[in-house]
Parts: sequence; structure tokens; C-alpha cells
Amino acid sequence: MISEWLSRLRFLLKGKPGLEVDEELQFHLERQTQANMAAGLSSGEARRQAAIAFGGLERAREQCLEQRPAWFLEPLLRDLRYGVRGLRRNPGFATVAILTLALAIGANTTVFSLLDQALLRALPVSDPSQLVVLSFAGASPGHTRSDGGDRPGHRYYFSYPMYLALRDQSTVCNGLIASASVTVGVIWSNHAETVPAELVTGNYFQTLGVRPRLGRLLVAGDETSEGSNPVAVLSFDYWKTHLSESPVVGKTLLVNGTPFTIVGVASPGFQSMVWGHVPDLYVPLTMQHIVIPEWTLLRDQQFYWLNLVGRLRTNGTPAQAATALNPLFHSLRAAEFTFLPDQSAKARGEFVSDSHLNVDAGAQGFSPLREDVRMPLTIIMGMLVLVVGMAIVNVASLLLVRAAGRGREFALRYALGATNGQVFRQLLAEGMLLGVGGVGIGLILAPQVLRVLIRWTAQRSSHSVFVPTLDWRVLWFTIAATLLASLLFSLAPAVQFWNPRLTEALKRPADARTGGTLRFGRTCARLQIGFSLLLIVAAGLFVRTIQNLRNVNAGFETDHLLAFNLAPGLAGYAPSQIAPVEQRALEAIAILPGVRAVGATNDPDLADNNVIGGVVVAGYTPKPDEEFDVEVPWVSDGYLQALRIPLLAGRYFAAADSATAQKVAIVNESLARHFFGSVPAALGHHISRPNRPVTDAVIVGVVGDARHTTVRDPAIPTSYTLFAQAERPCALTFYVRTWQAPATSAHTIGAAIANIDSKLMVSDLSTMNDEIDGSMLAERTIALLSTIFGILATLLAGIGLYGILAYWTVQRTREIGIRMALGAERRTVIGGIVREAMMLAGSAIAVAVPLAMLASQALRSQLYGVSTSDAGVYGTGIMIIGLLAVLAGYIPARRAAAVDPAHALRTD
Amino acid sequence: MPPSTDLLQGTLDLLILKTLALEPAHGWGIAQRIQQVSNHILQIGQGSLYPALHRLEYKGWIQAEWGASENNRRARFYSLTRAGKKQLSTELANWDRLTGAIDLVLERV
Repeated sequence: MISEWLSRLRFLLKGKPGLEVDEELQFHLERQTQANMAAGLSSGEARRQAAIAFGGLERAREQCLEQRPAWFLEPLLRDLRYGVRGLRRNPGFATVAILTLALAIGANTTVFSLLDQALLRALPVSDPSQLVVLSFAGASPGHTRSDGGDRPGHRYYFSYPMYLALRDQSTVCNGLIASASVTVGVIWSNHAETVPAELVTGNYFQTLGVRPRLGRLLVAGDETSEGSNPVAVLSFDYWKTHLSESPVVGKTLLVNGTPFTIVGVASPGFQSMVWGHVPDLYVPLTMQHIVIPEWTLLRDQQFYWLNLVGRLRTNGTPAQAATALNPLFHSLRAAEFTFLPDQSAKARGEFVSDSHLNVDAGAQGFSPLREDVRMPLTIIMGMLVLVVGMAIVNVASLLLVRAAGRGREFALRYALGATNGQVFRQLLAEGMLLGVGGVGIGLILAPQVLRVLIRWTAQRSSHSVFVPTLDWRVLWFTIAATLLASLLFSLAPAVQFWNPRLTEALKRPADARTGGTLRFGRTCARLQIGFSLLLIVAAGLFVRTIQNLRNVNAGFETDHLLAFNLAPGLAGYAPSQIAPVEQRALEAIAILPGVRAVGATNDPDLADNNVIGGVVVAGYTPKPDEEFDVEVPWVSDGYLQALRIPLLAGRYFAAADSATAQKVAIVNESLARHFFGSVPAALGHHISRPNRPVTDAVIVGVVGDARHTTVRDPAIPTSYTLFAQAERPCALTFYVRTWQAPATSAHTIGAAIANIDSKLMVSDLSTMNDEIDGSMLAERTIALLSTIFGILATLLAGIGLYGILAYWTVQRTREIGIRMALGAERRTVIGGIVREAMMLAGSAIAVAVPLAMLASQALRSQLYGVSTSDAGVYGTGIMIIGLLAVLAGYIPARRAAAVDPAHALRTD
Repeated sequence: MPPSTDLLQGTLDLLILKTLALEPAHGWGIAQRIQQVSNHILQIGQGSLYPALHRLEYKGWIQAEWGASENNRRARFYSLTRAGKKQLSTELANWDRLTGAIDLVLERV
């Protein structure tokens, strides 16, 4: 045994020249000839007899060489060379096949990498499987400062006192952390800008297991008491892109005008415990009054603003933690309840008895964004699976059609002594070449596509939650699947030619029809037509959605409207100074040339942002269990006029409605109708926020309904009050109505604000229409991609259909020749073939249309103003496919009909 | 080493090894000898002889050397290696076992 391997090894290293075999066999022939001559034959006859006795010299030689243990390398190279030659003979086929495979790999890997990052991947922290996300069921009266993400029975926002109690009075977690996302104004070496930041607890980094890249991260000692921890940790990306990786530890930067000491930089790759937050810096929670100057949150039990994440002890389960924490949670809620204004039994039930703390496994972290991107990404992935399916079907049908035309080639090769194994290897080599070519180009393509996609999704900000790294597992899987598929399909013809009856195959005309191939080809063509119809319909539905959303009447004029944010608090203004400087900014902008009107609000429009609360209307008795939440924005006196929200009754706000004058409110039509039955009836009534008598205002006007959250969402009942009459200062979003193109005013506005105070930062300046486009990012992305996929699919289907029809007509050249010789007109011949194409397309459409109607149900949540069985969309799709079929049929048909009948009859 | 189950191939290997056990020979010589000794009953097809020789060589049971043939031409002479001798005795034992078993069946039935 061992000697055998040793001997193999020896031969592998040393090799054995092929010439030796030749010489050896030659010697045998000569010796036999000699023996024959000795037996009395003539020299010629002796040689002939020796050769006959020996049999196939070449074959014996081959077999001798193949005995070599490492025989496979040499023939493989030969097969590959032969394969390259074969593919070069047919460059169109090779190009289409390779590009198709490359596309499949590139697109699939890219989109799945995004899907994986958003939906599947765990947080980049140590041992993420131990993390749990806390949420609760139960009433939450008071304020919620939220990025969204709540669902029934799961409120993800907690108060700071609640966090402290859960952290300090229970040992079930090996660390409980909290964070809130904020926007802050940062000044670093005289450069001011607003950046995303995160308020975090002192044990945040330690519990997550994040290491510093530089200096140190926050520790428990950085969360001691209110206002006494002015330290900050930078994110790696911010440090790299904005501070050019300089040694920053110990240096000071200004956060909202207050100096903070940089203590360290977090390790690369870490962003936040909430997927979707991309903070540039991390600041201790105890510095809240600097970071969110308009609120006092730390001691407020009724202010819900913190996301909570815990780390389980080793071997602990979320269920155990929930059981251990719930009694504590209930007692805390009971204690909290005693401070609430509504002490009824019903309120007690909702607040205490029916409340519950949920502890859910949270390796991926909590993420409101994840829920937003789940559906779009899934839809895109679904469409992509269709495209990839088409690509594979396309390559398969191309390979089969090609193989069918090679019947004689293979028969000839069998006749020349090729074995099954050799033919098999040959086909394998060709398939592998296609696969490797596709994988190669796909690999080059994928990272570029990913980068473009990420830039597209983050077009309006420099912060993308997606990282441009491909998922290698996905890449390997796709590569393996593609190679396997291309190999399998390239081997399919081998079955067809397995041990053919040689003489028959050789006699058969080159284009003899093999029924199986044709049938398979038709099935492929039908599949492709079906797939492309599905994709065209999807593209159509989304394009219509975008059109509809763009044409929505928002209730105000969105053209020539410029928006930007101004937050004096972020420039270090004291609360009492904020409203006056905002008023000055409004006045300064109003007198700029080119500006028709200016207004401001603390509740930006069509920005997926809401300020919602209950209201109390004097003289109105709520129905039992009535919960009527309204939008309660604080606006400037020119806001409604600047947006051109029409006045229905009463008057607009006026400059006379000053901070010291009678507080006034303007309500919209929905609110007026709900509380007062009609628009004019609302005037003169008093409206206030529950339990806040200071907010009491008299309704002086009623305006039309305007869409607020997004263009998709219907208008909400709204009560506008003045920011100048509000209880506390706030950051404002300014809206400027301009004469000329809004972009041209941007510069003068920036200058006017800087003229008031160079520390003031104008951020997120853009036109309203761009904002609306930005808010439709998911829909636009899907529409764009589905249109690309649709075009691609149609092209693929066209190629597939053309391929099979061309094959079919070539096969019938002789038949067509006979028919034309018998007097058939060219038109009839062409018509016949085109009819065949239409029949093929028609049968595919008949199956695909109901399927598309069914499949588009899944898209319903993303569509707007278009039915999933929209006649226009389906009609267009069917028309495109019909045109495609006519074209794919007409080209080969014309070629066939142009053939001279006499010539056609003589073929083969 | 499991016994060769392919009777034909195993038999050819056995015949070659046995022939080479007497003295080194070149391919033609081996074929001639087997033919002569078997009274022309066993005709070795050259198409299978040479692949078999190369296979046995790769397995390390026989080794080849270039030498002068009886008619003074360069020829490839094969001889048995030590591993080959061991293999021959194994194959002979297998052969005996096999023919013995067949004999038994033929006698009984």
C-alpha cells in the first residue's frame, strides 16, 4: 500500500515522457512485423498484419498515458483550451451567457448583503446573543420623544428614573444600558456643524464590550450627576473623516456651545446599540440639559425617551429575566401612578395592572429603521430572485439550443473514438468556463453596485447605516450555486448524446429537430416571458405610485418653497434667548430680495415627523373612551400664509398676537368638524392641552386640511399655536416662499442668518419638493430597481424567445422551402412564424397575469393610488411582451422566408 | 489489500506478474510467452497489455528499464519489484481460493 503511494509520488514528481510510450509501442509493432516476416509474409503484409493485430495504436497510447495517477491535469487543460475555442466560435452566445451569470451574481450578492445588514446581522459587539431589548405594555401618559418603532404591546421608550431603578434594584442583568439619539451643534477648530450624536449611560460601552481605538470610552464615573460630566467619545468614522485621525484625546470641542473634553475614540465598525443610529459622538446622559436644551428629562418620570438594552448573565434566558424584573417593574409603575392626575380605577388598570415588561432576545438590537426597510428590501430581493431565475433559465436554454445544434459534432467525436467520459469532461469544461467568466465579472461588479446603491439610499446625508462590504458567505453561496447551475446545464446535453447510434446521428441533417430540446426551449421561453411580465407589472405599479405621490395635493403649495432647520439651542443660546433670535431670523429673511413669505414651525412638514397630543375643548364633552389625538405644532405668525394653507374662516395669525397678548390658536377643518360640527362654529372657542391650563388659547381661525406626516398619509386634525406664545423655546424649521428658483435664494439666506450670529447653523437646507422626493426614497428605490429589472428581464426574455424561434425556423428551413416552392407567399410564411411567437407569448401571458395579480398583493402596502390589478399597467405590460414576441418572431421569419426554395431543399 | 474483484483485469495482472517472475521481459515478449505457454488459448490484446503494464508500473509492482532486445533494438524491459513479488503471491492465493471455490460448486451441483 505504502509502496504504491511512494511509487505514485515518484512518478508524479518525475513524470514519464509521452515519447517513451510511443517508442515502446513502436518497438512492439516492429517486433511483431519481424516475427510475421519470419513466418514467411512479405514485408508489407507483415506490417499490415501486425497493425491489425495491435488494434488502435493511438487509443492504446492514450490509455497508457491515462494510467498515470495524476492524469487528469493534462486533459483538463486540453479540454479548457478546446472549450475556449468552442466558445470563441460563438462569441454572442458566450457573451450573453457570461454577462447573464455575472449579473445574477453581482445583483444577488449586493442586495442580499444589504438585506443581511438590515435584517439578519447581529450588532458588532461582543457576544451579541446575550443582549436583550426591553419594552413594555401599558399606558404612557405624558411625553414620548420617539424615533418610532413602537408596536402594540411593545413601547420601546422609557423614562430615566425607570431606567435607574431597573438597573440598580435588580441583578438579573449583567449590565443594563440606555441611549437616546439627538442632533447637536459641534464646533471644532472654528468650524460649526450639526451632527448626529447619542446620549448614553456610563456603562454603555463596557456592557456592549466595545473597545476604544484611542484613549478611553465612557465609564460609570461619567454618569454621576446632572451636568457634571462634560466628556465625549467620538465615533471612529467621525474621527477619521472630520478630525483627520489626529491625537484628539484631552482636547476640547464645543457641543451646543458648551466645552466637552474628548476622552477617546470608539473602535471602527461600532455605531450604536440601535441599528440605524449613526452617531458621530457619544455623550453621557447626565449632560442632557446641554444636548437637548429645551427639555428637562432626567428627573421626569412621565417623559419616555430612552431605549433600554440589557446583557443577560451567562446561561440566563430572556424569559427568566422577564420573570425576575416584572415584580420590580409593577411596583415602580404603582409608585409612579400616585403622581398621575387621573386616579380613576380605569386609569390605574391601564397604567399598573395591565402593564408588563417585555424582555426580548436582541442580538440585532432595537431598530425602528429595520421595520421601515424590511418591506422594501424584501420586495427588491423578491424581484431579484425572479431576475436571477430568469438568468439561469436563459443560460440553460441557450446552452441546450446550442447543444442541439451540435449533434453531428458529438457523433463525429464518438466515431473518432471519444469515450463518454471525454465528451462529458469536454462539456464540463465549457460549462465551467462560462461559470468562471460569470463569477469573475460578477465579483468585479458587485462591490461597485453595492457602493452605488448605498450612496443612493443615503443621498441626502453623509451618514449611511449600510457599510459597503459584501457579505462573503452570500458571495460564496452565489458563486457555488452559479457554478453548479452552469455545470449542470452544460452537462444536460451529455445525456442527449449518451451512446448515440452513431451512424444514424451522422446521417441525420445537422439541424434535425430533437423534440425534447424544442419542448424545453419553449418552456424556458414561456418562463422568461412570465417572469418579465411579473417584473414589468411591478415596475409599472411603482412608477404609477411615484407619479401619484408626486401629484398628491398636499393641501399647500410645495413649489418654490425652501426649507431649512435653525436650532439656536445648538449654538449655545440660553433658553430665554432662543425665541427672540428666531424672531429676528424670520424678520431678516422676510426682507431679503426674492423672498415672498417666510414661516417657521417646530414640527416640519412631510418629514415623517409628528408632534401629537390630546386637547381639551371648553364646552365639549368627550364621548366615553374617546381618544382623539391631534397634531399640535408651534408655528410663526406667517407660517400658514407662507405655506399657502387656505383660510376657511376667521383670520390668520398676526404680528399683534405677541408673547404677552391673548393666546390664540388656529385649527384645521378636520378638527373643527370633529369638535364643533362645522367650520365657522369653531371660532371663539377655547382649546388647551390636558392638565396644562397655561396652554389655553382662543380659536381665531380655521384653515384647510394639509398633509403633514408624509404625502401618503391623510391630513391629521391639527391645532396650530404660536411658538412665541409657547411654554418653552424650541428649534424651528423655516419655510421660505421664493419668487425665483428656491436654490438661488439659499446663499442669501445663509448670509442673512450668519449676519445675525455666525454661530447660528443653517442645516438641512433643501427645497420642499426635494424633501418630498427624499421621503419617498423607498418607493423611488423600488421603482428604479424594478424598472431596471423589468427592462433587463424583457431583454432576456427577448433573447430567449428569439433563440428558440431562430432554432425552430432553422430546423424548418427545408419545410419552408417546400411550401414556398409549392406557391406559399412570403407573407404567409412570415405570418406563420410570427403567429407561433404570439401563441407562445399568449400562453405565457395567460398564466402570468393571474400570478402577477396574486403576487402584487404582497406589494400593496408600498403602493399608493393604484390598484394591484390596474388595467393600464397590465395592458402596457402585455403590449410590451406582444411587441417583443412579434419582433423576436419576425427577424428569424424574414430570414427563413428570404431563403431561395431550391437552396433550402438542397440543404443537407 | 482487498482481492481484485474484476476477474479479467485481475487475471491479466496475475498473468503478467507470473510471467515476469521468471525473468524480465519487454511487452512483446510477455505477450508471446503467455500465448505460447497457454498453447495459443490466451491471446493478449495489445490494446490492454500496455495500459496494464503501465498501471502495474505506477502501482510499483513492476519496474521498467531500457535495454537491448534479442534483435538488438532499444526495448523497454519490465521486471518484478519486491512489492510485486508479494502481490504475486497474494494474487496466486486469491486465484487458488477462487478456482477452488468454483471447482467445489461445479463438483457438487
